[in-house]
Amino acid sequence: MIADDLQTVLPEILIAAYAMLALMFGVYGGKDRVGGLLLWTTAAVFVAVALWIGYGPNETRTAFFGTFIDDGFARFAKVVILLSAAAILVMSQDYMARRDLLRFEYPVLIALAAVGMMVMVSAGDLIVLYMGLELQSLAMYVVATLRRDSAKSTEAGLKYFILGALSSGLLLYGASLTYGFAGTTEFAGIIAAVGEGDVPLGLLFGLVFMSAGFAFKVSAAPFHMWTPDVYEGAPTPVTAFMATAPKMAAMGLFARVVHDAFGGVVGDWQQIVAFLAVVSMFLGAIAAIGQTNIKRLMAYSSITHMGFALMGLAAGTAFGVQAMLVYMVIYIAMNVGTFAFILSMEKDGRPVTDIDALQMYSAKEPTKALALLVLMFSLAGVPPLVGFFGKFYVLRAAYEAGLGWLAVAGVIASVIAAFYYLRIVFYMYFGDEREAMDGGKNPVLWSFLMASAVVMVFGVVNLFGIEPLAAAAAATLVN
Amino acid sequence: MSAAASSDAPGNGWTGIAPVLLSAALFAWFLSLGPQVAAGETLRLAVPWVPSLGLELAFAIDGLALAFALMISGIGIAVMLHAHFYLRGDRHFGRFLLFMMSFMLSMLGLVLADDLILLFVFWELTTITSYLLIGYGHDSAKSRRSALQALFVTGAGGLAFLAGAILIGIATGSTSISELLAGDGLTDHALYLPILILVLAGAFTKSAQYPFHFWLPNAMAAPTPVSAFLHSATMVKAGVYLMARLHPALSGTDVWFWALTIAGAVTAVLASLLALRQTDLKQALAYTTLMALGTLTLLLGQSTGYAITAFATFLIVHALYKAALFLLVANIDHGTGTRDATLLGGLGRAMPFTALAAMLSALSMAGLPPFLGFIGKELMYAGVENAPTWPEFIGASLVLANALMVAVAAVVAFKPFWRPPGGPLPAEPHEAPWGMWAGPLVLAILATVLGIFPAVVQSLVVTPTVDSLLQDPAEAKELKLWAGVNLALILSGVTVGLGLLIYLLHQPLRRMIARIDEATFSLDGNWDRFLDGLIGLATWQTRVLQNGRLKSYMSITFLTLLVAMAAPMIVYGVWEIPTSLDAPNWIEAAIVLLILAGIALVILTSSRIAAIAGLGVVGVSVALVFIINGAPDVAITQLLVETLVVVLVAVAMLRLPFLTPERRPATDALLALGVGTVVTLTLFAVLAAPIDRRLTDFFELASYTEAYGRNIVNVILVDFRALDTFGEIAVVAVAALSAVALLRGVRGGGK
Repeated sequence: MIADDLQTVLPEILIAAYAMLALMFGVYGGKDRVGGLLLWTTAAVFVAVALWIGYGPNETRTAFFGTFIDDGFARFAKVVILLSAAAILVMSQDYMARRDLLRFEYPVLIALAAVGMMVMVSAGDLIVLYMGLELQSLAMYVVATLRRDSAKSTEAGLKYFILGALSSGLLLYGASLTYGFAGTTEFAGIIAAVGEGDVPLGLLFGLVFMSAGFAFKVSAAPFHMWTPDVYEGAPTPVTAFMATAPKMAAMGLFARVVHDAFGGVVGDWQQIVAFLAVVSMFLGAIAAIGQTNIKRLMAYSSITHMGFALMGLAAGTAFGVQAMLVYMVIYIAMNVGTFAFILSMEKDGRPVTDIDALQMYSAKEPTKALALLVLMFSLAGVPPLVGFFGKFYVLRAAYEAGLGWLAVAGVIASVIAAFYYLRIVFYMYFGDEREAMDGGKNPVLWSFLMASAVVMVFGVVNLFGIEPLAAAAAATLVN
Repeated sequence: MSAAASSDAPGNGWTGIAPVLLSAALFAWFLSLGPQVAAGETLRLAVPWVPSLGLELAFAIDGLALAFALMISGIGIAVMLHAHFYLRGDRHFGRFLLFMMSFMLSMLGLVLADDLILLFVFWELTTITSYLLIGYGHDSAKSRRSALQALFVTGAGGLAFLAGAILIGIATGSTSISELLAGDGLTDHALYLPILILVLAGAFTKSAQYPFHFWLPNAMAAPTPVSAFLHSATMVKAGVYLMARLHPALSGTDVWFWALTIAGAVTAVLASLLALRQTDLKQALAYTTLMALGTLTLLLGQSTGYAITAFATFLIVHALYKAALFLLVANIDHGTGTRDATLLGGLGRAMPFTALAAMLSALSMAGLPPFLGFIGKELMYAGVENAPTWPEFIGASLVLANALMVAVAAVVAFKPFWRPPGGPLPAEPHEAPWGMWAGPLVLAILATVLGIFPAVVQSLVVTPTVDSLLQDPAEAKELKLWAGVNLALILSGVTVGLGLLIYLLHQPLRRMIARIDEATFSLDGNWDRFLDGLIGLATWQTRVLQNGRLKSYMSITFLTLLVAMAAPMIVYGVWEIPTSLDAPNWIEAAIVLLILAGIALVILTSSRIAAIAGLGVVGVSVALVFIINGAPDVAITQLLVETLVVVLVAVAMLRLPFLTPERRPATDALLALGVGTVVTLTLFAVLAAPIDRRLTDFFELASYTEAYGRNIVNVILVDFRALDTFGEIAVVAVAALSAVALLRGVRGGGK
């Protein structure tokens, strides 16, 4: 019995144990000198575990009395989380090392965050959910303030922590209400208590509070306020990390809860999710226009994209979840490439984040500029690049679920959002000539940038076969 | 354009010839398909693409598609050849060729696509490539603005079309165009009106129909060969193509007829008036393009054989003369250094080939016999007689627009060559190199020859196109120069007479139109305001919502929560205010007072340590509440945690620098009160609902039978949830340990 349970959570246990070992090795084995080694090892462990999970048996298993679920949906999300986390780790090595930020704690904390995220998407119980969420959040709070000598980084970390604690509080309050009215913390029990008809009022409030907490984690408006400040303040590799794996985890958790625990009352949470989607899409799109810092811009960009992903979730159907998963994978692939570029932006060895620095970049670095152009068009959802298919998926899911107004709002928002992506292209190709940035010869970053751009172009052939995987994953969640 | 080369600049080598050859090869290939298509065949190619979305890469060539494909590749030859000479020595020539070829291939993809989503993909590709082409002269702020404007207007329209395509997919179960056209049409479907509105929004913005016409004249900031290609023969015709493509499925209703007729007529007349107003030859041509697009739209509004035959004919006529004239204006610019119609004159001798080509094209544009333009115009007028509704309106619009065309043709192609100049020219006029006049001359000669032998156009283009639109080749009317004296011929006479009159009076008229134009509303004028507004909104949100202050972030979070909780209560009307509460006994009253005192201390004190202590009082009071309600274990945990928190917070806070507290605004108090009230109401509402007794019942039943204990709380703690309790103890122990470590660190730091 217990052996089976342990077998089911073995990937999580493995990474957690690895994190402890790595911590010990770091503390007693040379402190920051082994930072680089630990970073590469961690990335390798992530990739290995991702492959293991990805090629593992395709079945649904539960552990610890149903509080932990290992199904197709969880495995899909975990593979995405681990691979993107590994990519960001590898990309950050050079940046961190050169700015003396490569603490040995960094990969360890990322590994702990990864365990938290894996638990989040596998949660079958409110307590497990909270445990995963906090493990991930606490690790992230620390990583965000890794640059302790910078006031901005510290301030960002503090804001992140306080707002995060607030959102955790809301989530817990909602969870308590849910527990009080459903009489159980297990999703399977909650969905039975909710039934199909009228939801008890307490459960409804519980749902509202929990949604607020999730919205904070996915940085959906109006709970997004931490995002631009933290994105700007945190070291760029950390920002890149925040923009990728945790988003997938939080989205997966959100989908898990609304379908596994509240799947019987789609109409009730559909409104909440649709509201979050609309506000995020528009706020992100409009606010990004005024930004001059590319990291802040990416923050608003992520808010808009989360709005679109939530649109898929709002559909409340299996196709909606599939659309959301496809959207998230595409979003993460684009963000990995874009952040590979941002990490390479520097002048005289100092990082540059001003959008103005990209003026006439195409003259200096035509290949990189072209790759970024592809990524920007893809982020904007311009066909026929892969980004367009993500948008197309969620729009269609929303429409087919009878949310025509939401699809229309999404279309309008994507027009506005195109504005600022194109502004970057515009600067690169049509800007004023000026002293260009230098460096950026890092082969790792270069490869990730190019790979991402190439995927955006050639992925249109069949989206690299993620569709059937996403469909199968969605089918295990919604039935 | 500044890019117009001087003759001693280095050449572009052979790179510029490749596009010409490619266009020619494509043209020849399409031409070879002509007989098959004319025989009524539709050629297809389909490859699966994204199967779960039901998408496939499907292409189909029928009459309409072939007409457009021939037009795009054919005009492409002339334009590419011209550009090779026109942009000689331009340092971005390679980029230009890349954009231009991408554009041409996207445009071909657009007209050959047999799937609505695929069509949309190519549609947006033409938008993007034309954005890059319009912004090609990126040194000028004007061309950057124009590029962005064109991108936005047509991009937004494209998305509207996408929405329409999705709706069509939902209505018919497929996005395949062939299946849609083979079906019963959509006119009776419940979604017909939204579909029509969305599709027309896409088509009207792309084809610059009033009131979305403003971007097209601005887009003339592009190099002239680009204008010749994009804004005469190809890109703007995409909207017309879309309407023609979906004509079988969407036409035949009153909404269709009126929407297209009114938009087309207003665009045609307004554009030709504005064309007369322009003194820049290129701008004048830009407006005549609008006129042509308006006319095509107007013709598509009707479904008669005459109107559609006229549509197919005029499509070709316009492409031939407009591309030629644009390229010739580039030659004039190249040869004299100006495009100002008031200055230019007497170029006939200096630029003989340009003059000849211009004359032939202009006669076709004016619709004089024996040019193809004449046949097109006769067919339009013949269609008026058969118009289903309100022929007077259609006829009057057409006559007025065509008469203005005659006048503009004279201004553009007669006056600069054969009238004396209006002032000194910036450069001594000289003829352009051969590549720049050869293409236009061939196009002009084609317009003449095809006018004399219209049967070629008839069998290759017109009849197959009519077949595509009306699904009956017999509906196609015969193209002929002489149809006897009839209403159409009389209207033609009136048109030419009126046109000449307008030409003679064009200087005073121009001033008058200018005055009226400036006084009227235009979306272009509001464009900058719109952009400024958007940026203003973005700045506003950064200032107000994203001001970097944690306090405002918290306020917004709480405000959202307030609304999120209050809204369902108000909407569902579920609030519950208990009317009879039990009077509190003295212990309860004392605890409440204690809590209130603690809160008052937190709010009122300016001392940090006092505030922390106040919070501690509240926490301890809550522990007391647990005690009197029979939960001593929870109370103990609460007390422990509270003590720890107070100590830790005090240690941390007292080490922070002391700042003078600012006055908190009254809105904070209101927000706090609001959230408090809503939470209280929520509690009342929640408590009023029956509690799920499953757990209680279980423990009541099981505590003695299974755990042999009568104190249920104790049994839960040490038996049912023994592991939890163990965990709790561990947590408290770890917390205490870290507190010790922290406090030690503090003391160490003090040394």
